[in-house]
Amino acid sequence: MIRIVEVKPIDGRGFVILEGFPDVGLVGTIATSYLIDKLGLEEVGYIDAELLPPIISIRDERIKELIRIYSKENIIAIVSDIPIPPAMIKPMGHRLVSWAKEKDVRLILSLSGLPEPNRLDIDKPQIFVLGSRPEITEMLIKLNGVNKFKDGFIAGIKGIILREAARMGVDAAIILAQSHYNYPDPGAAGQLVSFLSKVLDIEVDIKPLLESAEELKLRLRDLMRRTDQMMQGIQKSRELELPPVYL
Amino acid sequence: MERERSFWRRILEELRRMEEEFSRVEEEFLRLMKEAEERRGCITPLYNLYESGDEIILTADLPGASKDEIDLTAGEDYFRIEAPCRSPLRREEGRKYILHVRLPVAIDPESVRARYKEGVLEVVAKKKFTGYRIKVE
Repeated sequence: MIRIVEVKPIDGRGFVILEGFPDVGLVGTIATSYLIDKLGLEEVGYIDAELLPPIISIRDERIKELIRIYSKENIIAIVSDIPIPPAMIKPMGHRLVSWAKEKDVRLILSLSGLPEPNRLDIDKPQIFVLGSRPEITEMLIKLNGVNKFKDGFIAGIKGIILREAARMGVDAAIILAQSHYNYPDPGAAGQLVSFLSKVLDIEVDIKPLLESAEELKLRLRDLMRRTDQMMQGIQKSRELELPPVYL
Repeated sequence: MERERSFWRRILEELRRMEEEFSRVEEEFLRLMKEAEERRGCITPLYNLYESGDEIILTADLPGASKDEIDLTAGEDYFRIEAPCRSPLRREEGRKYILHVRLPVAIDPESVRARYKEGVLEVVAKKKFTGYRIKVE
């Protein structure tokens, strides 16, 4: 049973949801948290589930929900302090997309890293996009400087959200930046934020993000370690493989 | 039919039990590592060890370190990294990274080369081969 609770009602039309659950290089998590901070999104709700571990998160003497929903104007952002437990991924993906459909959301954007073994040799990580239908991919490609995600596997909550969105007729896309697999990668997140500023037609300076990269990497070490464990449980390494082709 | 169902239920229960056991062992590993870090004031960096063809590659995430202060030693069967962590975070102040990795095969320590880029250290070594060349017929 997964509950999406709106502490403050999220009313409006044409919402874009940014989903930044922890996975490869914590790229989506870093990018989403940065945008929440820079755009001044307000905490408006949370997601709860029996499958979440019995943990509470405390920050500045305040109790925080593990999976939080933020919003401002037509943007909704969702972040989590823990990796989504494997058993929760499918029901959560389904629930989240159903909720987005009820809200008549314009677009769900799942933000993530694309594992790149040669990341050390790449100064400017490239962005790859995949829409829930070809028209969404084309719309994003028009914004320049990005590539289509053509073949491969996407494991975990982001893949499930995209598939559920395609099944339910909700527009969604996954946006991936080339990234370290299991080291936090603020550089990759910076590229993702740059691209998102075009998608959302907003101005965001990524300089402060890049300047605090080392500090971020240190702060996120424990989350990365736990996320790595979770990724092992959902065959995330398949993202380094290509699907079989039968002639 | 009923017997078949109960058979599968037993298998699923067993799988779940194994998963729980696996997660308990991992949790214990994380706890011991964090406790050791606190007791010794050191940081165990995130790292990966790859075995590729005739090379061994180690990468380690050492944010807040600097190239000149990384102390890297290599033996035939180990890499050891020690580096101060110059972090603005209070918790990490005065701490240093320490990583000792035992290698799965012997290397030639003289072949080791390393680079440090954007907080990540990469160490590459050639494997040491001793043996005879065999003619394939």
